[in-house]
Amino acid sequence: MPRLIFGLLLILGFWTYPRGADGQPQSETCAACHLAMGVEKLTKPAELYKADIHAAKGFGCVACHGGDGTIGGMEAMDRKKGYIGKPTPAQVVEVCGRCHSDANFMRQYNPSLRVDQVAEYYTSVHGRRLREQKDEKVATCASCHKPHSIRPANDARSTVYPTRVADTCGACHANKEYMAPYKIPTDQLEKYKKSVHWQMMTTKGDLSAPTCNDCHGNHGAAPPGVSSVVNVCGQCHVVNAELFNKSVHSKIFVQMGIPGCATCHSNHEIRETSDAMLSMGDKGVCATCHTPTSTGATLAVSMLASIDRLKSGYEKAYMLLNNAEHSGMEVSQPLFELNEAKTALIKARAAIHGFDKSILDKEVEPGLKVVEKSQARGVKALEELQFRRKGLAVSAVIIFALVVGLIFKIRQMERKPK
Amino acid sequence: MTNEETSIAVDNGRRKFLNWFLGTSAGAFLVSVTYPLSRYLIPPEVAESTAGTVTLSIKPNDVKANSGQIFRFGSQPAILVKDANGELKAFSAVCTHLGCIVQYRSDISQIWCACHNGHFDLNGRNVEGPPPKPLEQYVVNVRADQIVVNKRG
Repeated sequence: MPRLIFGLLLILGFWTYPRGADGQPQSETCAACHLAMGVEKLTKPAELYKADIHAAKGFGCVACHGGDGTIGGMEAMDRKKGYIGKPTPAQVVEVCGRCHSDANFMRQYNPSLRVDQVAEYYTSVHGRRLREQKDEKVATCASCHKPHSIRPANDARSTVYPTRVADTCGACHANKEYMAPYKIPTDQLEKYKKSVHWQMMTTKGDLSAPTCNDCHGNHGAAPPGVSSVVNVCGQCHVVNAELFNKSVHSKIFVQMGIPGCATCHSNHEIRETSDAMLSMGDKGVCATCHTPTSTGATLAVSMLASIDRLKSGYEKAYMLLNNAEHSGMEVSQPLFELNEAKTALIKARAAIHGFDKSILDKEVEPGLKVVEKSQARGVKALEELQFRRKGLAVSAVIIFALVVGLIFKIRQMERKPK
Repeated sequence: MTNEETSIAVDNGRRKFLNWFLGTSAGAFLVSVTYPLSRYLIPPEVAESTAGTVTLSIKPNDVKANSGQIFRFGSQPAILVKDANGELKAFSAVCTHLGCIVQYRSDISQIWCACHNGHFDLNGRNVEGPPPKPLEQYVVNVRADQIVVNKRG
């Protein structure tokens, strides 16, 4: 019965279709009929498509679904005229690629847009499974770029806008039921949302913070190989990656088959780093491989001590100078110079990735010299402050005594005439 | 000695003491006033800068094109850059990532942070690396052969 009503509605709709509608070429009649149908399944795509980037560029339904939009009624959807209806996953890639892989065609609309998405897609885990195993559950273009409401990636409403990528990937990857046949973890989204990267993106509004596609690729999405992790993280963390690649750990990690960066910092749940990561305590990461008496552990503890020395020295100098400044002393020059110690501390924290004390000391030593000088100037400023305070107290006593003396003198002068 | 004579003698002693006391107090008062005054009149070791503006000791013509140098803006580092076209620009030299002091790289004509390889263009925009936002830009004016840098607004 519902099928019969649906069929009747279709016939009625095509019989009474109005001409022209928003969001498609005037020559096409598809939306006019679909919008008049009153059945959500048929009206919704036509309604959504009005805001689609393709509609804005003048493309109609036929561009993807085939058929002949110039003919009103069911004849427009004639398979002989190339009508494909809802494309299968493999057809989606083919349909999108028809334009998006054609450099000459794309140049007319966005000359800088890449045209290798389809080629990249077939290198991805999604694309390989689709092509080789005919797995139609995998993501295709339409899984991430929501059909009928596709917007440019730099539009905040787009499903592939940086802040929305994680949820877009998570729609499948965090769905335990959907992912069950693939036997891979489904906690990536939950973990990522605890990471410093997600925090930077959402609380600090830093859109350059990485999301899924920055490490896995977008169209060519696949987990980075063990040996590639440092290169991937090194896109942003250049200094740390360079130091790590030259370090003793680089080769050993390859031999052990464990990734750089992620072994100590985790992958999806990358938390904010702390100096305690070098300790042999609970928060330490070195202890995972190094026993407390090993050379590695000794180095880690010694590096931590160096950083702690600079850190506590910097904090003490800052406190002294800050106190002096708040008490009205002029210490802007030493405060300015103290910035060099802060820079040295930050550089030192990056330098630990060389896992070599001499590399670390090159950053720590100049910082310590600045700290020492700043502390001395802070102490001097506070001593000067004490001197001025004592001077003020002495002056106040003298002034008070003078006032008292004057009172006596005046009384004496008043008594004289008698 | 009568009571009256005793009281005159006491009065004389008190008067002497009071005169001495007032004299020394006046002297001490003068010293306590003139010392701080003299300390304020003699300039301190380092010049105090006002928060919103700073006049640099370097002359505009002494700054080479495609070069940059750090200067002190209050207690914070700032960077003066002369681009290849000879235009002077100034920015906060505190990297917006973790707060290191940035520097000018003439080979790439960009402001660069050595700590984590952050790059800023000559409008202060973060163009590469981890810095999350641009450097604060200052207004540079050349007045009577002097470079004056002001904070905006």
